[in-house]
This record gives sequence, structure tokens and C-alpha cells, in this order.
Amino acid sequence: MINFRSLWFQVNITRGGRLTMADDREILREIWEGKVPVCFQLAQEEVYTGEQPDPFFLLVPRLSYFPLVTDKVLRHMMKHVDPEHHGEMWLEFDGQPLKWHYPIGVLFDLYGMSTDLPWKLTVHFQNFPEEELLRCSSKEVVQSHFISVVKEADALKHRGQVINSMQKKDHSTLWAGFMNDKFDQFWSVNKRLMENSGEKAFMFVPFRIYRADQIPVQKLFKPCADSGESLTLRHLLKTAVPELMETDALISSRVLIQGIEPPLDTPVCWLSEHLSYPDNFLHICLMPRVEVES
Amino acid sequence: MATTGEWKGNILFQLKRRNHKQSEPFQAIIQTNNRLQQQSSHLHSQNVHLQVEIERLKEENLSGQIRGEPGSGGHNTHALEQKLYKLQEELTELHKKRGENAQQIIDLNALLQEKERELQNKDNQLSDMLANNLSLKQEQKNLQQSMTELEATNQMLTDEHQALQMVFTALEEKHRKLNDDYREILDRWLKYKAQEADDINEQNKQFFKHRQEKLQKELQEAANDKVQIDLPDAEGFTPGVCLSVTIPTRAHNVFDAHSGEVYSVQWNNTGSLFATGGADRKINLWRNIGGSCETKGVLLGSNAGITSVEFSQDDSQIVGASNDFACRVWAIGTQRLQLTLTGHSGKVLSAKFLGDSKVVSGSYDRTLKVWDLNSRSCSKTIFAGSSCNDLVTLHGTSIISGHFDKRVRFWDTRGADTSINEILLEGRLTSLCLAPDRTQLLCCLKEIGLKVIDLRMNQVSHTLTADGFKVGCDWSRAVFSPDAQYAAGGSSDGSVYVWNLNKSRVERVLKEHSHTVVACAWNPSGTSLVSCEKGKKVVLWSDY
Repeated sequence: MINFRSLWFQVNITRGGRLTMADDREILREIWEGKVPVCFQLAQEEVYTGEQPDPFFLLVPRLSYFPLVTDKVLRHMMKHVDPEHHGEMWLEFDGQPLKWHYPIGVLFDLYGMSTDLPWKLTVHFQNFPEEELLRCSSKEVVQSHFISVVKEADALKHRGQVINSMQKKDHSTLWAGFMNDKFDQFWSVNKRLMENSGEKAFMFVPFRIYRADQIPVQKLFKPCADSGESLTLRHLLKTAVPELMETDALISSRVLIQGIEPPLDTPVCWLSEHLSYPDNFLHICLMPRVEVES
Repeated sequence: MATTGEWKGNILFQLKRRNHKQSEPFQAIIQTNNRLQQQSSHLHSQNVHLQVEIERLKEENLSGQIRGEPGSGGHNTHALEQKLYKLQEELTELHKKRGENAQQIIDLNALLQEKERELQNKDNQLSDMLANNLSLKQEQKNLQQSMTELEATNQMLTDEHQALQMVFTALEEKHRKLNDDYREILDRWLKYKAQEADDINEQNKQFFKHRQEKLQKELQEAANDKVQIDLPDAEGFTPGVCLSVTIPTRAHNVFDAHSGEVYSVQWNNTGSLFATGGADRKINLWRNIGGSCETKGVLLGSNAGITSVEFSQDDSQIVGASNDFACRVWAIGTQRLQLTLTGHSGKVLSAKFLGDSKVVSGSYDRTLKVWDLNSRSCSKTIFAGSSCNDLVTLHGTSIISGHFDKRVRFWDTRGADTSINEILLEGRLTSLCLAPDRTQLLCCLKEIGLKVIDLRMNQVSHTLTADGFKVGCDWSRAVFSPDAQYAAGGSSDGSVYVWNLNKSRVERVLKEHSHTVVACAWNPSGTSLVSCEKGKKVVLWSDY
């Protein structure tokens, strides 16, 4: 698999920029394939049986949400907790409770980027942090959250016309493709949401900028200037976080999308079309630059 | 385009590096890890399973060893050990047995004690029984003794009985003989009696003949003599028309009328005769001739004392009430008993003629009975509700009765049996007397005195009392004088009180009797009064 993929990569390289569509699709594919290795460990103080259970390792997709992938972990850990006193499972990294309604990739970029892999998360069943986390009783909650974010994104892009013209069946197909890791099924619907030509051109770009310990920033941002010039990531950052651009703080910050640092002169429109998460939002993390091996 | 390719290539490269760095190295490891984890858990469960199996097999093996041990008896020590073990076991068994035996001994001891106790009990019982037996024997002896005694007595009694039987037979014989004698004597006596009766008949015949001859002679003499008839001679025979009433002043004649108490006295309608009834069961007829009273006949037939007498309207019959629950009617002419009227269930206190052919009687059985003299039977019974002491009749149909319950009741025999009217007085009624003009009724009340009721008003018009006047008995009779100006009544102190009705006071007190005066009767001519007492005496009072 790995061999085949690298082979495919080489092929594309040799072909150069001739097959743009193929390149775009390859990028979409790579993003879809993005996974993070996670090591789940039960919190020390919640171990009910005598011995500490073995840590549970999983390779989780970046685009997914934690409640969708932690079934096995839950089953594994449940054997070792007090059956009388346990509530909903929640995850914590380094003292920071993880919000399940952020895609896993965002959470990893925000908190786990600078740690050793695999990413070590602590599993909790007690003392649910009501202040910081939302409850998630089932996968339907995740689905309704996901669909609502998609609707928000479309409202920004097409005034909600595309999503509203869709049938219930299309929503289901979108969700099922996302859930079951069916790339083609997902994109058969998603491509309509990503339509960006003619009168279906994006009104605004749906994006959110995350920083550790701060509320995410979300603003209205047109992908093209009045002059018709397409605006780049740099423009977007200047509009959304002007304080960052005035100083040379930008130099000391990493702008992470999907775990990579795209060049700042990349057009926002293309970013939105290709590097958005399945919820159609461009989740941008601003991280202080630490000297790491790049 | 080139710039486009540049940043695009950069992004693609970064992405590939990202994936290469973050996921690819871990993919195999994590997959292996997961597989190993799975295997581990699987092995763990298998291990547990096997552990259980081993345990089971161990156990099996142990039991198998125990079973299989004798087979490997070749080893000496092992055999000895085995033996030792066996002996140990035997020893344990024996210990156990010893314990059991000890327990058995204790049990048996307990049993023995119980048995001993039982034995003791039985001994006690036996001694009791012996004592009982002894006493029973004693008793038996006693009983035997008494039996012999009783037998002896029985023998004696049997002997006596036989002797008595013999005596009885002898006496019976004697009795039969005496009975025969008695019958013989009776026959003889009857013969004598018949003879005597014949003799009396003969004598009677003789007497009648003699009287007739005498009468004939007298008639002849009378026819021969020319007698001047003067009024005084006919005084006793004047019809009951009262010319003037004189209050008697002295006892004209005192005589013994009966052999016992005299209960009643009554003049006939002409005043020529008066009748007395007494406790000696007779009614005597008297005639006042000159200064003395002659008996004119004796009416027999009653079985008890005579309580009341009354003459019929034509003086041909006399009715008497008796304590033997009956009324009787005699004929004056023949002086024979004509009728006996029975039916009351108590003493009859009063009997009066009701018209020409009826008699009414009042009794202590609380009824009044009307008798028909022609059919000689009771034609009506009136339930009065109280004992009747006296009654009078009115117009041949009405009855006034005086009762023990202080009431005077009025009856009409033609109508229903209920009383027409009744008057409640203060005392028990002992007698009633109707004035000749039938407008006034004299009532004698026990413990009260005399009351006069005006029948037109149904009210008491006079109350007659006097110091010393006391009604003597329940059948004391008080009477009006023929002109209804006076009333006379006898007292328990032996006096006869005469009241003047107009003045409502005592006119005279006549003292001669020494016993309670029971009844008085005024001669219809108004010139004399006769009274009787509880002794034998009858007193004829007059003013000359």
C-alpha cells in the first residue's frame, strides 16, 4: 500500500503540472487518507480493577470525530472501571479536555503537533468537565452537528441555496460516505457544495482560526477582491487577525491547515475547495513556532 | 501557472510528508499491536480454560492415584505407609466407636435410671393396690355380714308376711261373713222402713181424715153460729194497701225461727204471711196471729243456706236463692218444691220474679241468669263483670243489679246483653230496694250506709247514715216503708235503724237483737216490721 502510494506520487511528480485535476484529486485523496496514531490510556485514578489496563493504540482519520472512532477503546476500558460510578467517556491531553465537536485533525494540530508520536490521550469516565465540553450521547448527535456545520458553510458560500436544494437522501449519502470512509460516495455529494463557478461562486469563505487558549475567530471574507484579483491566505490572515500581521509575529507563528503549512500566497478559494474539512470549513490553526525539525 | 504549480506542489509534498511521517510508520505497528492484543486476550481466555482443565485433571489424577495405589504395593515403605495410614484410619474408627459406645453407655444409664424410677412407681402402685385390696376385702366381709343380716331380716319378714297373709285370709273370711250379715240387716231394715212408710201414710191419711172431719165439724159449727164479723179480726188478711205507716216502737214478738243463722225475711203481697230463709236450708212460713207467730209450713229441698226469698205477684209461688248455686221455686198451696234452676257456678245471692213466668237470679259467678219457668230452663245469661249481691226487677223486663265492684247496673232483658246504664257508688252494694212508686231505689252500701237514688235523675238524692250504724254482711238487706217515707236497715250492733227520708235523719233505733241484723221486711200495710239476725231469732216489731 505504502509502496504503491509512493509510486503514484512519483508518477505525478514526473508528469509535472500537466494534470491539474489529477493533482487536485490526489491532494483531496491525501487529505482523506490523513491519519493520526493515538495511544489511549485510562486515567490512573479511575482504574477500578487491580492492574492498569494495557494502552490501546489506534490510527484515527484526521477528518473524523472522536465519538465515531472510539467504540473499541470504550469497550476495552470499560472492563477496568467502577461499574457503579462511571459516566460518559471523555478524553484529555496533557490536562486539556478535548472537544469532540472539533475534527480530530484540528485537535491534533492545536495540541499534539509538538509531541512525540503516537499521541498519548487519557481516557476519563468520571468528573465530566461540564464547563468545557458538550455532552455526546450518541452518533446521531455527531451527525446533526456535522450537518449543521455543513449548512452554515453553505450559507456563507451560496447563501444556503445548494444545501437547501438537496434532498434528505443527499444528506444521508454525504454522512454515510463520511462515516464509512467512502471517498467517492462522499465527494459525489460534496462536489456540489464545492461548486465555485458562475453564479455559484463563493460569496464568502467559511473559515475558523484557532489558537491555543483563545476563542476561535470567524469573520466574513470574500475570496476575490473587488478588482477581481483572487485573494490569498495572507490577505485572509490580515483581515481576520490583523494584530498578527502588524508585528513580525507572523514569523514566529505557524499557520497550520490539515497538519501542513501551505504557502501564504496560496489562493483562499483553492484552499477552501481542497483543504477544507468534510464540514466545508477551512480550519486554520495558529501555533507559536517552536524550533522543530521541519 | 508556474506559481500555481509551485504552491500546489508544495502543498502536495507537505501532505505526502505528513502522511508519511504521521500515519505510515504507525500503521503496521498499530495493526500488529491490535492483532497482538486480540491474540493476547484470546490466549488469556484459553489459558484460563486450560487452568480449569488442569485443576480438573489434577483432581482426577489424585483420585486415580488413590485407586491405583494398591497396584504399586511393591515399594516397601509405601506399603508400610499405606498400612500405617490404614491403621490410623482404623484407630480413628475405633476412637469414633469408643465415643459412640460411651454415648451408648450414658444413654443406657439414663434408660436404667428411668426404668428404676418406673419400677419405684410400680412398687408404689403395687403397695397402693394391696392396701386397696385389703380395704376392699374388709368391705366385702362387711357386705357379706350385712347380707347375712339382711337375709335373716328377709327371712323374718317373709315369716311375718306369711303370718299376716294368714291373718288377712282369716279377716277376709270374716269380712265376707260380715258383709253377708250387713246385707241381711239392710234388707231387714228396708223392710222395716217400708213398713214405717206405710204406717206414716196410714197416719197421714188418718190425720187428713181427722182434720177434714174436724174442719167439717167446725164449718158446721161455724154455719150454725151467727158471728158478727168485726174489722180487727181481718187485720192480718187485708190486701197490701197501705193506709198509713206507723213506725214500730217495740218488739211485738221475738222467736227462734231457724236452728241457725237467719239470712232473709220477706212478707207476701197481702201481708198475711212472711217467709224466712236460713242457714239450716229451710224456708219457714209464718203467720202473725194475735200476739204470736205461728208456723204455716216448712219448704224443704235446698242443699245449702237460703240467701233470699220472694213471693210471686199472686202469692202462689215463692222463689228462693241458695248457696248451693241453685234457685228453687215452691208452690205455696201444696208447699212442694216445683222447680230447681241450676246453672250458676257460684253462690246465688238473690232471685226475683220477673213478670209472671220468669225468674232472674244474681250470683257470685259474676253473671245474671234469666229463667223461663214454663220451659224450666235458662233463657239468658248476662255477663255482669262483677259478683252480684242483690237485684230488683222493674216492669217485668228491666233489671237493676247491685255489685261487689260498687256499681249499680241497669239491664233490659229484651235488648242486648250490655248494660244500659251504670252508676258508680262509694261502697260495695249489699242490697237494693225499689220504692213502691218505682221512682226511688234504696241501696245499702257496705261500710258507707244507705243511699237513695232518684231513678228519674239517676242521681243520689239521699244519704242515710247514723252513728253506730254499720252494715253487717255482704247480703244485709235494707227496705223502704210501703209509703217510701221511711227506710229501715239492720246494723251489726243488733239495732234496727229507721230513717225519715224527708228529714234525712234517723227517726228511731230499735234494740232487741243480740246479733248482727241481716234483713228487715216492712209489712205491706205499714203497721209492722220484721227483722232477722245472725242468731236464730226473728223479731216482729209493731207500735202496739
